[in-house]
Amino acid sequence: MNDMKRSEIKNLIISSMESDATPEDIARHLEEEGVSFDFGNGFTDRIIDKISAPILKIKREGEFIRNLNFAFNRIALTGVAAIVLLIISILLMEGSFSFNSFLGLGDSYDESMVFLLTGN
Amino acid sequence: MKESYRQSDELYLVKASLEGDKMAFGEIVNRYRKLVARTVKGMLGDSVYAEDIGQEVFIKLYHSLSEFRGEAKLSTYIQKIAINLTLNEIKRRKRFFSMFSQKGNEEMHEIEIPCYDNEEKRDAKELVNKALQGLDPKFRIIVAMRMLQGYSTKETAEILELPLGTVLSRLSRAQEQLKVILGKL
Repeated sequence: MNDMKRSEIKNLIISSMESDATPEDIARHLEEEGVSFDFGNGFTDRIIDKISAPILKIKREGEFIRNLNFAFNRIALTGVAAIVLLIISILLMEGSFSFNSFLGLGDSYDESMVFLLTGN
Repeated sequence: MKESYRQSDELYLVKASLEGDKMAFGEIVNRYRKLVARTVKGMLGDSVYAEDIGQEVFIKLYHSLSEFRGEAKLSTYIQKIAINLTLNEIKRRKRFFSMFSQKGNEEMHEIEIPCYDNEEKRDAKELVNKALQGLDPKFRIIVAMRMLQGYSTKETAEILELPLGTVLSRLSRAQEQLKVILGKL
């Protein structure tokens, strides 16, 4: 760039700061001189790819939750059936349903504990 | 890109984007990418980071489209996002560089001048880039908006949400700084 052109651009930059300047014209003039900005090729495609990615992630997360719910339903039903069977068996064996019988602790609790701890 | 989108108004494009139409959003990106590039590259220099910030601007726009009421122009809305993200990046880089170097602010301007087939055009852009990067960031945004985007003082004040008097005084101080910077170039 020759010195004249260079000082012309410098003056343009400085004059764009004047309060009575017409910035639109200055911006256009600078663009004509090659002062233009843009992003590289494929910029738009990269953005579209990025905004599409979270949707796939959400879809995958939704699928996982649905599978988890399905698995939980099966486990929960089996669990409830096991608890009912346990309660029936306790009632049949102990004749009553108390906290101790639920935990499998009978009347001989103290003696059993002494036996277990001392071996006598 | 659908041909029909090229003629569509921005509210239609926003509505279509909200309905999940990626092509409509692609048209918004194509329309405003230069506007964002002028702000981001004007503030950060023509560096590789500028493209990342540019992408972030549009991704943020996509996720906040539902908040756009159409009361202001879409370009103003995008411009505000671009300014906020760029200023955040400047702050982040300033913090990062100040941890490792006393030079701090000086090192964050990695100006990469792209290849031009025309030597004169490259020099003009380089001159503008160097002038901008030599400015204090709070002046740089005002200069970039005025010089590269062609915004009037009133529009600059509205977008930056600053009083008109503040913009005018910053313009005057920026002009003083520019005279010194350009005198050395």
